[in-house]
Amino acid sequence: MTPSDLLPFLLLGPLVAGLLIFVMPVDERSAWRVEVLHVLSIFFVLIVGLVVIASVLSGSTIFASSNWLMVDPLAAVFVGLIAVVGCLTGLYSIGYIRHDIAAAELTLQQLKVYYGFFNLFLFTMLLVVTSNNIFMMWAGIEATTLGSAFLVGIYGKSTSLEAAWKYLIICSVGVAFGLYGTILTFANAEAGAVDPHQAVLWTSIVAHAAVLDPMLVKIAFVFVLIGFGTKAGIFPMHAWLPDAHSEAPSPVSALLSGVLLKCGLFVIIRYAMVTGGTVGPEFAQSLFLLLGILSVGVAAFLFFTQRDLKRKLAYSSVENVGLILLGLGFGGPLGVGAALLHIINHSLAKALLFCGSGNILMKYGTRDLAGIKGVLRAAPLTGVLMMAGAMALAGFPPFNVFVSEFMTINAGLGAGQYWLVGLCVLLLTVVAAGFVQIIAGSILGKKADAMPVRDVGWQALTPMAVFALLIMVMGIMIPRPVTDLLTSATHLVQQPEASTIVADQAPPSIVFQK
Amino acid sequence: MINLALASILLPAIGAALILLSPRPWAKRLGQVFAGLATLALLVLAWHFAQSGWVAIEYSVIRFGDIEILGLVIDSVSVLVAVAVVGIGFLISVYSGGYLDAGNREHPDGVKRRYFAFLSLFVGAMAGLVFSSTLIGQLVFFEISGLCSWGLIGYYEKPKSLFSAAKALIITHIASLGLYAAASVLFLETGTFSLAAIGQLPEGYKTAVLLAVLVAAWGKSAQLPFHMWLPDAMEAPTPISAYLHAASMVKVGVYIFARALMASNGADEIVGYICVVMATLTIIYGFFMYLPQVDMKRLLAYSTITQLGYMYLGLGLSVFGSQLAFNGAIAHLFNHAFAKTLFFLVAGALSYTTGTRILPQIRGILSKSPLLGIAFVVAALAIAGVPPFNGFFSKFAIFAGGFQVADQHPLLMVLLVIVLIESVGSFAWLMKWVGWSVPGRSSEAVAGASAVPSPMRFVLIVLIVMAVCSSVIAAGWLG
Repeated sequence: MTPSDLLPFLLLGPLVAGLLIFVMPVDERSAWRVEVLHVLSIFFVLIVGLVVIASVLSGSTIFASSNWLMVDPLAAVFVGLIAVVGCLTGLYSIGYIRHDIAAAELTLQQLKVYYGFFNLFLFTMLLVVTSNNIFMMWAGIEATTLGSAFLVGIYGKSTSLEAAWKYLIICSVGVAFGLYGTILTFANAEAGAVDPHQAVLWTSIVAHAAVLDPMLVKIAFVFVLIGFGTKAGIFPMHAWLPDAHSEAPSPVSALLSGVLLKCGLFVIIRYAMVTGGTVGPEFAQSLFLLLGILSVGVAAFLFFTQRDLKRKLAYSSVENVGLILLGLGFGGPLGVGAALLHIINHSLAKALLFCGSGNILMKYGTRDLAGIKGVLRAAPLTGVLMMAGAMALAGFPPFNVFVSEFMTINAGLGAGQYWLVGLCVLLLTVVAAGFVQIIAGSILGKKADAMPVRDVGWQALTPMAVFALLIMVMGIMIPRPVTDLLTSATHLVQQPEASTIVADQAPPSIVFQK
Repeated sequence: MINLALASILLPAIGAALILLSPRPWAKRLGQVFAGLATLALLVLAWHFAQSGWVAIEYSVIRFGDIEILGLVIDSVSVLVAVAVVGIGFLISVYSGGYLDAGNREHPDGVKRRYFAFLSLFVGAMAGLVFSSTLIGQLVFFEISGLCSWGLIGYYEKPKSLFSAAKALIITHIASLGLYAAASVLFLETGTFSLAAIGQLPEGYKTAVLLAVLVAAWGKSAQLPFHMWLPDAMEAPTPISAYLHAASMVKVGVYIFARALMASNGADEIVGYICVVMATLTIIYGFFMYLPQVDMKRLLAYSTITQLGYMYLGLGLSVFGSQLAFNGAIAHLFNHAFAKTLFFLVAGALSYTTGTRILPQIRGILSKSPLLGIAFVVAALAIAGVPPFNGFFSKFAIFAGGFQVADQHPLLMVLLVIVLIESVGSFAWLMKWVGWSVPGRSSEAVAGASAVPSPMRFVLIVLIVMAVCSSVIAAGWLG
């Protein structure tokens, strides 16, 4: 079976699993069947995803389904993210959902809904990142909203329904802007030299970027940035994000924050490549810098002032998305490489913390930091893992976020943006202070006397330990395949024309070359 | 030799991981054993290094493509400082084993894993920082040491100590941005993070990098304008204060700046002036802050700030061409590490046995506990720079080097005279407290003191010996 044949199966796996879970009858004794199917599905995504990435690494871009599906190195980075974070949060879900069932917060019917939509959500995200057809890409983004909105509102409380509603409305309106951008780009390509059948394909658009109408391309990019930026949680379109992230079940928050936001960024990067090919990179870069520093600035302070753990983490996601935009805006191999690396690093660290917040919810039943004291005493392993995650996100070595933040700063200084970098690092210090506050106030300290000393089950702790391990590994010694993949992806984002259709050159050996 | 240096970094880090994974009663022993092993590795390393004729070697450990990320450098300075920081780390682990128990009158306490895990990691990070040959390596260990100090300052988990811990972390983190900037500029200009490349930078960039490193160094060393975290950090358990403020955290700053200067092949005089002027201001500020202090640890905190000022003074003077001042600064780093550790541990032993560290309540130590009395006197004399104790020799070298270069630089002469006056003043002030506390009839608090546990006695004796000998070692070693 060639990789091209395999690619559709990567998408079909979670789709079929999700649908099967919906139609499966459950009662108390057969609930395990749903879990088994779910686990099979997430491991299927993990394994097939890694196989696809491996074949991309060996030097070829994979096309399938008459070029509607495509995985190039850039997409491979995101496929890897979905596969790894999806699998680990999927595993974490088992312990978490069982706890909720036991605590009668969810019914068995809702269990089905949860696992079914979880798999559909994975499918829609995979659809976005593997899609070569720009309309399918748009539809995929829209579908992620539909899939995850049910997960956000699954508890059926008024707050969670409100969050789900807000999420649905804001993102649908936002993504409608994305549709204008998509249509404009298509019309632009079709009016130019491109055959209409080819004009829906991103690869042909980017290959003919030079002949597109510059004005239309700029307008389309602004629409895309607003539209898909809503999904990516960029300020000022981030309003849905804190509510949705805090109301969703914790593993879903991890997935939303770790992966979904990045899918929005993925589409933006794709369009930025087209724009770069037509009008040069500066146009997109200046917009990235503006929105990036605004996101970092606003989110840093909002992050600091929140009292709700999950809302805090949600604002930290906005801040990190801003940082990724800054990396893209600084440009150059170093900046783009830093942004891509930060996409991975932030996903891992944030997923760890959201899972940790899930443990705290299971243990304390609240997300209010004032009510959470002495996690380290009450649930030692959770406490240690949360500390590691918080320190990682605060940007301390030897954890991974330090590496990509340092590269971003480096890229900014290299691009001559001294003031912007200066401002950015000061804002990052505010963020670091906020994380220290979480640890000092809630993880350390005395626990309430009534709180028994017992950690949550191993089903919840094992995926978190794996996340912590990955964070350390990415911080100390980034594995060779990851650097190779990032290098090719960076190269691709820099020079899309050179590597469309067939990526035949050997990738350069490192991400940041002067 | 490289393996020994690596061992001194990795052994304590492994120890920290093991401590977290082992049952609580093992924490103390594991911490002591791993710090001891690291010290042993360094002593063997020092012996090998001396045997092989003081030849500096560099070795790259982690590379990313062509770029060296982490490298180790073994030369006379790094070996000397590493032995001090890791060796004192070991002594502190031993002392802490006695200090953290139910018999402690100030903070009755059991051993917690967290304490020894952070301490052990700290020792490893210090060794890593000292041996690191790249700016990015220094930055990484700089931040790890900041993290460990945060965990340790906040150890008692009272709101005040957590606040102080966060303050220390945030202020040093803000200062570390200087190191970020220095590493970035160096990399963008030369394509490498190696410290040696500082020497190849064009003049303007070199000055910028050195000043950026200096800012980071000030933050870690609690020099003006970043001094405010250090007195608050006295919320830490006393053995930790001893380690942070005598041997490790604050010395990080001095060390990274010394390394940058060593690599720079002669820096612009502006760097020297900025360094010397700020050092003088810090010294004066520290001296005036002695006067109102009654808490022994806070007095020592300001004394630390001042003594670090002397090291920066020496480093700044070396920019004007005085190798003697540079060696004096490094020797002072080494000597002060032992003397100040001793002083803090005396404070710790006093609060352990009497339950107070407020100086006016402490009188007549000598008659109750001769060891503590002697240790108090030795520590005070060594810090004040009285011969034959170690502080004298290194301060002397700094001043001698300073007067050599002050001939051509009148401003330096003025500053040196001011500092000289300060040193007399601080001598007088320390003697005042020695005269108050050590001789005579025991006050109520001291008379009711309990016995000093034997691990603590052992450490105090070792440090008294070192407070006399360390200067000879440093002078012999640095040549």
